[in-house]
Amino acid sequence: MPIKKDIIWRVGAIYIMVLLIAILVVVRVVVLQLFEGDKWRSKAQTISQRDVVVHANRGDICADDGRLLASSLPYYQIRMDFRASGLSDAVFRANVDSLALKLSRFFKDKSAREYRNKLWNAKYHTKSNRYVLINRRRINYNELKQIKKFPLFRMGKNKGGLICEQENKRVQPHIDLATRTIGYLLEGEGKRHVGKVGIEGAFESELKGIDGISLMQKMSGRWLPVNMVDPKDGNDLITTIDVNFQDVAESALHQQLIKYNADHGSAILMEVKTGAIKAIANLGFDSETKTYREIYNYAIGEATEPGSTFKLASVMALLEDGYVGPMDSIDTGNGIYSYYKEKMRDSHYGGFGKITVQEAFEKSSNVGISKLVYEHYKNKPRSFINRLYDFRLNETLGLDIRGEGIPEIKYPDDPTWSGVSLPWMSIGYSVKQTPLQTLTFYNAIANNGKMMKPRFVKELQYHGDVIQRFDTEVLKSKICSSETLKLVKNMLEGVVLRGTARNLRNTSYKIAGKTGTAQIADNNKGYAHKVYQASFVGYFPADDPMYSCIVVINRPNKTKGFYGNQVAGPVFKTIADKVYAMTYSMHPVKDRKDQSEPKVPLSLNGNKKDLDEVFDALNFVVVNKEIPSRWVMTSRKDSIIEYKYRRVKKYLVPNVKGMGIQDALYILENAGLKVTVRGIGAVNSQSIRPGAYFKKGDRITIGLS
Amino acid sequence: MTRRTNLLKSLDWWTILLYALLVFLGWVNIYAAVYNEGHQSIFDISQRYGKQLLWIGAAGFIAIIILIIESKFFSAFAYPTYLFMLLLLISVLIFGRDVKGARSWFEFGAIRFQPAEFAKFATCLAISRYVTQYNFKIHKIKSLFISSLILFTPMALIVLQGDAGSALVYSVFLLVLYREGLSGIVLFLGFLAALLFIFTLLWSKLTILLLILSVSLIAAKLSGLKWKNFGLGILIMGAFSSLIWITGKILNLHFSSYFIVIVSMVLCIIPFLFFTYKQKLRNVAWIILISFCSLFYSFSVGYIFSNVLEQHQRTRINELLGIESDPYGAGYNVAQSKIAIGSGGFTGKGFLNGTQTKFKFVPEQSTDFIFCTVGEEWGFVGATVVLLLLLTLILRLLILAERQRSSFSRVYGYGVACILFFHLAVNVGMTLGLAPVIGIPLPFFSYGGSSLWSFTILLFIFLRLDANRLELLR
Repeated sequence: MPIKKDIIWRVGAIYIMVLLIAILVVVRVVVLQLFEGDKWRSKAQTISQRDVVVHANRGDICADDGRLLASSLPYYQIRMDFRASGLSDAVFRANVDSLALKLSRFFKDKSAREYRNKLWNAKYHTKSNRYVLINRRRINYNELKQIKKFPLFRMGKNKGGLICEQENKRVQPHIDLATRTIGYLLEGEGKRHVGKVGIEGAFESELKGIDGISLMQKMSGRWLPVNMVDPKDGNDLITTIDVNFQDVAESALHQQLIKYNADHGSAILMEVKTGAIKAIANLGFDSETKTYREIYNYAIGEATEPGSTFKLASVMALLEDGYVGPMDSIDTGNGIYSYYKEKMRDSHYGGFGKITVQEAFEKSSNVGISKLVYEHYKNKPRSFINRLYDFRLNETLGLDIRGEGIPEIKYPDDPTWSGVSLPWMSIGYSVKQTPLQTLTFYNAIANNGKMMKPRFVKELQYHGDVIQRFDTEVLKSKICSSETLKLVKNMLEGVVLRGTARNLRNTSYKIAGKTGTAQIADNNKGYAHKVYQASFVGYFPADDPMYSCIVVINRPNKTKGFYGNQVAGPVFKTIADKVYAMTYSMHPVKDRKDQSEPKVPLSLNGNKKDLDEVFDALNFVVVNKEIPSRWVMTSRKDSIIEYKYRRVKKYLVPNVKGMGIQDALYILENAGLKVTVRGIGAVNSQSIRPGAYFKKGDRITIGLS
Repeated sequence: MTRRTNLLKSLDWWTILLYALLVFLGWVNIYAAVYNEGHQSIFDISQRYGKQLLWIGAAGFIAIIILIIESKFFSAFAYPTYLFMLLLLISVLIFGRDVKGARSWFEFGAIRFQPAEFAKFATCLAISRYVTQYNFKIHKIKSLFISSLILFTPMALIVLQGDAGSALVYSVFLLVLYREGLSGIVLFLGFLAALLFIFTLLWSKLTILLLILSVSLIAAKLSGLKWKNFGLGILIMGAFSSLIWITGKILNLHFSSYFIVIVSMVLCIIPFLFFTYKQKLRNVAWIILISFCSLFYSFSVGYIFSNVLEQHQRTRINELLGIESDPYGAGYNVAQSKIAIGSGGFTGKGFLNGTQTKFKFVPEQSTDFIFCTVGEEWGFVGATVVLLLLLTLILRLLILAERQRSSFSRVYGYGVACILFFHLAVNVGMTLGLAPVIGIPLPFFSYGGSSLWSFTILLFIFLRLDANRLELLR
């Protein structure tokens, strides 16, 4: 029966198909569960749990008073996931135009049309559209809040596709203040930013903190932390930098650099007793922006020939060895002296003739100082160099901050040593020092021979608690004898009183220091091009030094000036003046008696009856007490008060200058004037001159100060 | 002539037992899938497990009503039911609510209802009715056309709703028609079409072309083409190819190899037709026709794939075929599902202990991916039990269908079994990464009133028909 056979065949075929597919499914289950079970189990483990590094917050860098110098702020980069599960075509199309418009208005870099095309292409014509960068710019938290309100984005990650990637950016709130010394971060391993430069680099291990690990578990479709090794935030670093002083140093240096078209310069202010750096400014001309910016840490990194400031070391060597005294004389001749074939000149044309050693130093005679050194050490140059080494001028300071310039003072067995080495070294050539090294040396003089290590950080804090104080460090407890110290201090004061830096002399406090005007090699062009480095280094107040300071300005426009006193000196003076003004402890205390009993009180002009009452009560002698006037002027003479007439005439504007507001108002309003008052204090101006005619109701303005 | 029998006695209790077991296990697994500690009671109707219990209760009620109805009702009202469902399918397009990109739900307050689910039994009734009409002849064009119309109308409407997965279910009626005498070639062609679809996506156009060419040549040889003619044909084709290639070189036109092959193929139709005529081989003509149809089909697949299908459908297919891999995007469900099932091992992690399940890794776990819960918490043992229960049910239905005296009941029974089988194969297949992710539920298991009720109606109508089998003599 073919029909029956056919049906059996067909039913059979269906059964077989069903069974085949069923077997396929079962085999698949067997493979998945029995053979690959372990693999999937471990995958289940890894997929349901994962470790996430929780970055520690980097510590802040603060000024000595706790003000922020560098801190980390979160910034965000905006990306979009065009395949977000909830982002349907309809929603995208309905919102793309308004989103593009908003983006264009927000970033202001492309038109709304361009943004629309960008979004459209990313959605429909790009394969990798899961993680598209919307704009390169990193935005801050407030901006992010704005962006989150944009159309589409406001629907969140799953529907709107908004992905914001957080990054912490290091920010220095005082934009250019000590930027180089505070340092910055560079991208290190694994795209993390690591402190590499300046204090950021030196204290990286303290600042960075310890990252935590969070074990995340997926629960109800979301990743939740289940177990967490908390990150430990980085320690905050309190530096020695004083924001006010730093600001002064920076702006004074800046003005001078502009004035002299200099290439670059640096200024450092150091606390004498501790070696604490209170200010460190480095400014260089940035040919791109045509402005001066902190582009290199010259103060720490640049070792140059110091020039005349080095003469201090030469004179100290001579004094220590007892070869000369300050009153010994030296013949500087006509200001030109030849060593072998090399001519040494004094900057003072025609020379100083025969002068004392003290004068040679104060006037910075190259011939004088070099002749003295050459005379006494030409047969034993080693002992001169050893002296310099004793002053610790040949060693680096061992700073935490990387990149310190290496000082150079060559020894007589150096192959480049020649007959002219000694005289030239004695005046600061063919030796190299960084500004900070020179300052450290001068600071040691100010600190009675105790050489302090420059100190940038005071303490480490963790969430406000001090966890470590950094001790002051002494590099050398005594660099020379007390006698020498006394003599050179006197000489350094002399430089300002009588010598090359007379322009820094002032009456309020004494400055001691030394100018330096060095001809330096202009990069590769050699000395022929004559570029200069002007410097001034010293300390103040000279009698009881509190701060030492160095200012170095490189390559000033020589037609405008290049001498140390002229170019670097004023910066020093500005810094010193401000520091002096802001530091009360520096002001000499006046005689107490003098202060507590002023002989005569300051008094204003005013109502005679009131004044009588006051002066009677205080038992003061008043001349012309019986003057027949309601209003009087007072004047002081030694310890006596004298009354003078103050006439108030009808129709003439009264003189109220020097009166208090109460009296002035009383007189003027009584006279019939309408008064407007500006300011506070005593009257120092009136808008209608005294004695002028006026009508009742006229307006008068009085200025008080 | 009919004979009254006791309904309770004539019911197939084995099927009802299987049904009850499946529904119960489904409910327990839904509890595990959406379990949350705030609502521990399995009867809490604010949760899905509580609601599912309500649906189950309602399903029981529906089942009883169906069993009470006179069995003739179903064949008599097959067409009206079918038309009513079509009406619902059309109105859901107009009044329906968008859920996940598909407009296939009616919403009345808190109750949602998916007509596509109910269209299944209506279509099944209608096709059974039509196939058993006395003037139906399976090889008559008119009969074929009308039965296709019965199947394609709901299918098209469901596709329009954006629920291509549910529409695919209707392809199982091919099997039913096969049982009723449809030529095996149709099944075979369907199989070929599916195969070619996959190959088109996997391989380059040239490869497909060469594949079709060589298959057709082999087929032609096998259908009796003489070696002489066979060789000659190939030689001619080679000659054409070289000629085109040389022309291209001379005229400096850059013909692609694809172009060369296809033009030579077209040119070779003439000699091959000549051979067929000479040897009187009708089959070779068919082969030529089929191979060109396949070529055209393969083009359209490429076009349909990139222009008609939605992005999510494309990625799901690409994901399945391993063309794209994005375990956190389109492949996420499947990846998570495989992890859940795979990590279950032999005995599973235990009730409510599945980590993938508990932490909600698998989206749609209480509905389309309910099998994951079984696989993870009950392991191989549980998965096998569920699969066996379903398979037994399907085989039982096939056996029941075969024993029907009424062909209406038989066709309907086949329809039920095949629909259930399609759901089982595709649903479990997709959780195992064997089938593309098309959102169709696991019968009796998945959460959802519409699907549970529709399967219940589907099944119990057949049970009612079956209970009546002895009453009807034909």
